[in-house]
Amino acid sequence: MGPEFGRLAYVRHIITYSLSPFEQRPFAKYFSVGLPNLWRRFRGQVLRVGPLFMAGYALYLWAIEEEQRLKRKNPADYVNDE
Amino acid sequence: MTHQLRKSHPIIKLINRSLIDLPTPSNISAWWNFGSLLGLTLLIQILTGFFLMMHFSSSDTLAFSSVSYTSREVWFGWLIRNLHTNGASLFFMFIFLHIGRGLYYTSYLHESTWNIGVIMLLLLMATAFMGYVLPWGQMSFWGATVITNLLSATPYVGSTVVPWIWGGPSVDNATLTRFTALHFLLPFALLASLITHLIFLHERGSFNPLGISPNADKIPFHPYFTMKDALGAALAASSLLILALYLPALLGDPENFTPANSMITPTHIKPEWYFLFAYAILRSIPNKLGGVLAMFSSILVLFLMPALHTAKQQPMSMRPMSQLLFWALTLDFLLLTWIGGQPVNPPYILIGQTASLFYFIIILILMPMAGLLENKMVEPTYVTPK
Repeated sequence: MGPEFGRLAYVRHIITYSLSPFEQRPFAKYFSVGLPNLWRRFRGQVLRVGPLFMAGYALYLWAIEEEQRLKRKNPADYVNDE
Repeated sequence: MTHQLRKSHPIIKLINRSLIDLPTPSNISAWWNFGSLLGLTLLIQILTGFFLMMHFSSSDTLAFSSVSYTSREVWFGWLIRNLHTNGASLFFMFIFLHIGRGLYYTSYLHESTWNIGVIMLLLLMATAFMGYVLPWGQMSFWGATVITNLLSATPYVGSTVVPWIWGGPSVDNATLTRFTALHFLLPFALLASLITHLIFLHERGSFNPLGISPNADKIPFHPYFTMKDALGAALAASSLLILALYLPALLGDPENFTPANSMITPTHIKPEWYFLFAYAILRSIPNKLGGVLAMFSSILVLFLMPALHTAKQQPMSMRPMSQLLFWALTLDFLLLTWIGGQPVNPPYILIGQTASLFYFIIILILMPMAGLLENKMVEPTYVTPK
């Protein structure tokens, strides 16, 4: 069922090196590199996501107020009533 | 070579090939966790549902009180019920995120896997709809009445089909008993579809966020992704328990605490949150048949995704216009969900109609156009083979 290890791909001239998990710090540079990287990824996406959702939220707030306004009578229409 | 049972036993080797020695791309992100979470949620729903079914009576005179008895008198019945109701919400949350992953990373290019997935979504929606009717509360009864009545819009056969589905002239005992039977049966159809979904997926192997062939860098599913999925499962279980233990009625409707009464119509009939987007699309068209067709089309349009794909680059990772449209679609979906829960008053009517229109415009027109434009903007050096 599907490609198995040994039949996935034929590659040449690729050498990989790795350290044993017992010879390295488990969370090396988790904060010192990880947090700046998180900021980099955030900056790359925020202008594509943020403005849209801010506009959507503004629409949501406006719609609630508008519905409330439309349910009420306009006081200005009754200002000259005795 | 030593004899390895997991590779030679006829049954165990199936499990081995799917969950242990399965070659998996090393770079699949958290968005790939939702598949296993959906399987886990299905299992939770089947188990909790089975225990609830032991105490449920599917008669219209007994259903509501049997659920009340289960919650109050059965040992941990309240917990089993809360897990089941909130598990359904979690099921839909995961499936929406799973589909979102599929749209962003163009997983729909695995056509067989994708099509079975859409069928599973339809099965899930049918199961959840029928399950909500079982407690026989006000919203159960009236939600069933509204939605089943929609089928009367079908030309020629509509007025005949609806009483046939009801088992009588209205939603009544016969409807409840057959919905109980179907609600028990369909999850097993879902389970069978899940196995088929996985068989097709494993023929080619998982996609990955880069969109290029990962065959040169694959790692075994166990222990890397068993562990990663275990973490996802722990987080999902925590969310389910927070809902079930602290906020069990957060996502529900207060009307369903009242037993069904065919003589009293609730002021605001609406489905559970996961159906609200479809409800908004349904109500956006003044014509009954038009609304029904639009509602079904909003799900069935997913079958068209492979045909609408025009970009040479596979995922949206390097396609900014498509990304913008994807997030616009997500926002549109959220707006539709919000509007579906609101009464049909201005300005919600116009917002709902606009959002419904944009839902189809984004999927059918803007996203394919963006793909074509992006092809012209960038000359890719590697084209992913289909």
